[in-house]
Amino acid sequence: MSHVVALMFSLAGFAALACASRRQQRDLFGGSLGSAVTLGFRLAGGAALLGALAVLVAWHGWGLALVMYSGHTSLAAGIVGAVLIVYGRSARPKFRPR
Amino acid sequence: MTTKSEQQSAGRGIRQSMSELHTWVGLLLGWVLYAMFLTGTVSYFKDELSQWARPELARLTERPDAAVVAQRIATAFDKVAPGTSQWSVRLPDDRNNSAYAFWRTASREPGQRGFAEGHFDPATGERVAARDTLGGDFFYRFHFQFHYMPVPWGRWLAGIAAMFMLVAIISGVITHKKIFVDFFTFRWGKGQRSWLDAHNMLSVFGLPFHAMITYTGLVTLMAMYMPWGGQVAIKSPAERQQLQAELSAFTQPGKPSGQKVPMASITEMVREAQQRWGHDNVGRVNVTHSGDAAARVTVTRGDSGRLSMSPQYMEFEGTTGRLLSARDEVGGAAETRGVLYALHLGRFGDGFTRWLYFLVSLAGTAMVGTGLVMWTVKRRQKLSDPARPHIGFRLVERLNIAGIAGLSIAMTAFLWGNRLLPTTLAGRANWEVDLFFIVWALALGHALLRPVRAAWVEQLGAASVLLFLLPVLNAATTQRPFWHSVAQGDWVFAGIDLMCWAFAALHLVLARRTARHHLAAPIKRRADRPGAAAIASGGAAE
Amino acid sequence: MNVVVHRFLATGPLISRIGAALFGGYALAALSTVAVLASPMSKVQAVIAGQLASFLVYAGAVIWVFAVRSAPKAWTGLIVVALPLALAAWSVS
Repeated sequence: MSHVVALMFSLAGFAALACASRRQQRDLFGGSLGSAVTLGFRLAGGAALLGALAVLVAWHGWGLALVMYSGHTSLAAGIVGAVLIVYGRSARPKFRPR
Repeated sequence: MTTKSEQQSAGRGIRQSMSELHTWVGLLLGWVLYAMFLTGTVSYFKDELSQWARPELARLTERPDAAVVAQRIATAFDKVAPGTSQWSVRLPDDRNNSAYAFWRTASREPGQRGFAEGHFDPATGERVAARDTLGGDFFYRFHFQFHYMPVPWGRWLAGIAAMFMLVAIISGVITHKKIFVDFFTFRWGKGQRSWLDAHNMLSVFGLPFHAMITYTGLVTLMAMYMPWGGQVAIKSPAERQQLQAELSAFTQPGKPSGQKVPMASITEMVREAQQRWGHDNVGRVNVTHSGDAAARVTVTRGDSGRLSMSPQYMEFEGTTGRLLSARDEVGGAAETRGVLYALHLGRFGDGFTRWLYFLVSLAGTAMVGTGLVMWTVKRRQKLSDPARPHIGFRLVERLNIAGIAGLSIAMTAFLWGNRLLPTTLAGRANWEVDLFFIVWALALGHALLRPVRAAWVEQLGAASVLLFLLPVLNAATTQRPFWHSVAQGDWVFAGIDLMCWAFAALHLVLARRTARHHLAAPIKRRADRPGAAAIASGGAAE
Repeated sequence: MNVVVHRFLATGPLISRIGAALFGGYALAALSTVAVLASPMSKVQAVIAGQLASFLVYAGAVIWVFAVRSAPKAWTGLIVVALPLALAAWSVS
């Protein structure tokens, strides 16, 4: 159970962090979102990642939690990365160099 | 690190020199590292693979009571190895369906110690006859000591490779500081850029794991790699024993008294340990001089739920069952080492944590793989005559094929051998291993003889077919086909079948990408031509 | 002959660096495992602590050797660190 919650938090965190990066803003929203929104995404992302850590620590204690946290963040970043790639491919086929 | 760059050294920055260090350190032992990463990755399911490799041993539907099993094994040893100076059993648990024991045998020559080993049925205590195989232990041992060479050599090679990896990680981080800011960057169809992005993503996402696993890997064998402090400080046998006790629960048998006394109940001793650590948390029972007045029984704590491998055990007087000592903690440095060791093995975790280890470790494998392929992709652009590359380039290109795609074939062949070699074959376990290397050597020969792109496609395709058919072979040669396993809820067997299919699909995708890539860009001089889309589970270049 | 000399002069510093990284780095790490015995830790713990730290010393030394501008500078850095360690190691042996 803690794993599901922690993974959800991690996914949300990296999704928000991705939205805060300039390149992803350009690809996803077609332009920069402005510094206030970017900062908001960044803070939300950081908070969600801390939330994932908090969940794991509360459930498993610091030692095991840190190990699991490293795995969860890696997996979540990988999933977000993969989704962005797939989205980028399907949304902009015309940019694909042939 | 070319001579030219050395001459220019005054003008170039630290990023440049770190980039070159990263490139060459990564390449030199890259194939060794790739093999270590992949065999290490599957070793997170070593116990499950070992179960799969011995289909004769019945599945345990529930975890047997350690106290009862230990007593059964003890009774069995009165017949199996009467008078042995020591026997030690790893009790069955959630991941092991047999009790695995080893014991000392009378040595033929003085000073030489002999050991024997065997699996025991937890329900009866009888020794069970399973096919002669190393099972998952082959990949596990290969991961840190290879094969066909003296064990110390293999371990030194693994240590050097790990040290190279550590340097590659640090220099890689210094080179690509920017990737931490923009680490979701992936550019499709940009040849070398795409490979770099894939490599970066795989590296950054798993960076804490990759750094941890490399360093802790060195820690597991550190006494061998760095014996110097110990040689200066540890002189007397007593001191040596003191050091040993900080690292391992394994005790050497003392002197027997020669006086025969019946043993006390082992069940009671294990019960006492269960009260201390939890009912399902007893790992091992070790008995020295059973039936002698000087008999000692040590009960060791299990690995689960504790982020440390430092020794925790209770020692009992064998004939009375009286608790002599209980070891709960070790010194600070020893405990640190115990934690690092446990981090490497990952045995403490629940199933989900194990899968996390497996997946991130697989990303590490792909990181090494993409790095190796990138070396050729990058250099192909700069070749003076792309039609006739120099020998070094060609060698790297071919070794990549055999080292990456060929290893998949060889590992699958090992599992095929486990099902196909006759159980009566003498030295059967060795034949399984030989088969692995024969197939790997054939893959290398194939990679040297065929055109590069064809070799990639054919080997990835062969791996895919072999992986896809392995569950079929399992269904044909054992009583435990996939549908049966699913119906029984046997997720060890069903899970391995499913993983075979998942990996078959991965190899198929990579093979098709490599093949299609060739059709898509046959004329344009592109950087990432042969084998470009070969291996990158995080996303390959188009 | 001239070519050989030139080649040596060109690759010499690189070989020197590789030697410094591989062997100098290991020597420094090995030295640190002995030097740590001079710390107030108990003997057994010091031995283990020295082994744990040695790989970081080794990796740090390799990075240093390839990060600095010249091969002589790389060696000098290793020696400067080795001196106090050697002193500490000498005090316990």
